[in-house]
Amino acid sequence: MIQHHPSDELLLAAAAGTLDSGAAIVLGAHLETCARCRADLHLFEGLGGAMLEAIEPALMAPEALASTLATIDGAQAPTPRPAAPTVPAPLRPDLPPGVTWPRSLAHCSISRWHWMGPGMRWSRITVPHDRDANVFLLRIGAGKALAQHTHSGLELTHVMCGAFHDGRALFAAGDFDAADASVRHQPVLEADGECICLAAVKGRLVFDGAIARVIGSLVGI
Amino acid sequence: MPTGDELTELARAVAQAGDRSAFAALFKHFAPRVKAYLMRAGTPSQLAEELAQETMVNVWRKATLFDPARAQLSTWIFTIARNLRVDHLRREREVRADDGGASDALQASGASEEVACDDDGPDEQLHAARRDTAVRRALRELAPEQLQVLWLSFYDDRSHAQIADQLKLPLGTVKSRMRLAVMHLRRLLQGMEP
Repeated sequence: MIQHHPSDELLLAAAAGTLDSGAAIVLGAHLETCARCRADLHLFEGLGGAMLEAIEPALMAPEALASTLATIDGAQAPTPRPAAPTVPAPLRPDLPPGVTWPRSLAHCSISRWHWMGPGMRWSRITVPHDRDANVFLLRIGAGKALAQHTHSGLELTHVMCGAFHDGRALFAAGDFDAADASVRHQPVLEADGECICLAAVKGRLVFDGAIARVIGSLVGI
Repeated sequence: MPTGDELTELARAVAQAGDRSAFAALFKHFAPRVKAYLMRAGTPSQLAEELAQETMVNVWRKATLFDPARAQLSTWIFTIARNLRVDHLRREREVRADDGGASDALQASGASEEVACDDDGPDEQLHAARRDTAVRRALRELAPEQLQVLWLSFYDDRSHAQIADQLKLPLGTVKSRMRLAVMHLRRLLQGMEP
């Protein structure tokens, strides 16, 4: 049962198409698992439709309809997108049994698991159309604790599997979290299994301890 | 102005018979609105014209996929225009990032995959249409100024400033009214649940 959902503000931004790509990927992963938030997304899309009805219409170019009909006639079959270029099969590191990749990551490449401490690994996600997006996976072993940290900007997290408690609440598979600079937290894993989180950060994580800071800066999250 | 039902009929005629005069009527109604939305969302006028036409080309091509049981026509057309805008912004960013090369992978990757999840079950689809109607009903209960600030979520900052100007309010007040308007809409919708 999912306990933590994205805010109306985020869902509305998703419906409006104004999320940056990292946020869209993490929110997309949550939406795939959460019927309630899909319903809310559709609600806000309905708001977009109502906006379209209410807006003061703009003037189209005089030949707009003719040129649109010409496009339609010119290519009855939808213009084939250039045949999918032979992109090498996207890299996918291993996942625990039963855990699947969110479809929102389909077009991204995902690095292998890198070591970042005992029982802690991370993987870099590269978004092809947005090289600046800071999106990554954290894979933390049962019972481990991540170093206490805060964020220079908004951090969005989707829990793919496992569970952790960060002093504010318990987060489990399917849960979504948004933490900004006012949240200083230390996620501590539940004892009964490892946890994988998909996260996008605007800005960087800011770790408290010196060693954690070094690791954080090495891995570039 | 055609009613929602009349527009839905026109869309059906396009889907079932490739009816060009029905399409022309849809074009006349929606293209200028889509262009206005895109401009408010920060798209320059010439590009907004092109994307509005492309939106209508998609309406023609995908007309058979439109399901009035799932969404109002204007909602469906809004999502098409929104996705084209997002894809355009991405392509632009990609071209800037690598000097015009190697953006094929993106071209092939298609429309706004992250939030475009259409994996709703039959129950959800049934609810979708009812909810879309409920939203319209709830909106009728909002004050015009409140409606106007609701639309701001779909526009860019320049439009926010313009509307703040129109309402003679500081920008910060307009932004907090945006949040209040969403909460108000929520409450109205909760009151309408069967």
